[in-house]
Amino acid sequence: MRPVVISGVGMIPFGRRDEDSLVDMLAAAGLRAMDDAKLGDRSIDAVYVGNMASGLFNHQVSVASALVDRLNLFPAAAERIENGPASGGSAIKNGFLAIASGYYDVVLVVGGEKMREVIGPKATDVVACMTHPETEYIYGVTLPAMAGMFARLYMDQYGVTRKHLAQVAIKNQENGLLNPYAHIQMKITMEGILTHPQAHINSPIVADPIHLYDCCPVSDGAAAVLLTSEEIAKELEAPLVRIAGVGQATDTHTLQERSDPTDLKAVTISSQKAFEMAGLEPKDIDVAELHDAFTILEIAESEHAGFFPKGGGAKALEKGETRIGGKLPINPSGGLKARGHPVGATGVAQVVELVWQLRGEAGERQVKGAKNGFSLNFGGFGNNVLAFVVRRES
Amino acid sequence: MKTITAYQCVNCQHIMYPHHYSCLNCNGREFEEIHPSGNAKLLTYTIVNELPWGIDERGRVLGVVEFENGVKALGLIEADRPKIGMKLYPDWKVVRVIGGVETFGLTLSSKK
Repeated sequence: MRPVVISGVGMIPFGRRDEDSLVDMLAAAGLRAMDDAKLGDRSIDAVYVGNMASGLFNHQVSVASALVDRLNLFPAAAERIENGPASGGSAIKNGFLAIASGYYDVVLVVGGEKMREVIGPKATDVVACMTHPETEYIYGVTLPAMAGMFARLYMDQYGVTRKHLAQVAIKNQENGLLNPYAHIQMKITMEGILTHPQAHINSPIVADPIHLYDCCPVSDGAAAVLLTSEEIAKELEAPLVRIAGVGQATDTHTLQERSDPTDLKAVTISSQKAFEMAGLEPKDIDVAELHDAFTILEIAESEHAGFFPKGGGAKALEKGETRIGGKLPINPSGGLKARGHPVGATGVAQVVELVWQLRGEAGERQVKGAKNGFSLNFGGFGNNVLAFVVRRES
Repeated sequence: MKTITAYQCVNCQHIMYPHHYSCLNCNGREFEEIHPSGNAKLLTYTIVNELPWGIDERGRVLGVVEFENGVKALGLIEADRPKIGMKLYPDWKVVRVIGGVETFGLTLSSKK
């Protein structure tokens, strides 16, 4: 396989973007990545769009073709890639494979979702469409409900407390304050969301034991990466940030069919594959972007990806090891919790953040000397997961 | 009483719910239809306040249970104080109205 370089990255601020259509957002992020790579008039072979549900949210499909049209990238090949909340990660993986195989030289990958076009309960329903139709969806299961059932078991088995969950929320919202692209720009405190007798007013129960501040917001947004062969990256004089490892794994659709529902096997396997391909180990990683759609997931994923032993994620959090400046900063971008979670955009936004970190361009949230980054994009409720190791070449 | 249908692999007796075309344990392709038998034990649950469009209520309890014959399923829990490990009695009721159509599903009550 040929090396694949992330020659350009771009993103638009996540949040509520009533003024933009989905394709406007995809185009804006895509242009930023193309300009970042100083692509000029060089042609793009293919455009991959990571998007979960434009048909349901925005009554528009074939958005990759629409994006090529909007950006005048004819005759580039174009496809929309759907893998639930891991659509962005899947789009990057497919772009990676296309270049690594030698079939294409330049691929634009854009992830985006416009979720705020529908009201909250409808957005909840659209996202719940990824659950099993006959055995889960009909009961009114939501993704927070899945997280609630998972969290109850995980907390019981591994000593994770609501205080730990709140610590994730506080850390990531603090990081989000340093990220101009983050949807949530608000400092929160332990007293405000947990310990004050009236904290339940600020952070009510969504799906017990998951409270409001344990959940990512519903966001609009888009992010893009321009992938090239190493040869073209050198011509563009782009900093050599390579996709060094890619892993993907699946697990059962329903939680009840997992022999241990607290075991996120697809996270473990996808991470191991990515590390193996990169020739690195978890201890070599300087910065990680994990899929904290719910606070419990940051803790559980940090363990299943191999950074900490089972039960060690909460302890590392307590010691401040996962803060910026700690041993392994997790979600310096603010994560899904603060940056937001326009589902199709997330996997791409995670990699964009890693590239900024590895280039030393992350501003106030910069992780000093970061050379190796890791991201994890969690599809469904852990039934289709992608992991990436990204490396800055000297 | 009407209830859910689970599938037991003829080759290795592994029980699956929902249906798969290939056994999750041995890849066998022959199955016998079985139904939950006996009462159920609550394995995990959540109390959902923010429900999707079309379910106009708060505090719906959803949980995963295991029946005495090993069938595991998610259902709607009817218990004032749900607790992991508690015994539940199955029933079959309307769990959701989708597009104006009543959809029946598994409910599990703490009272007989």
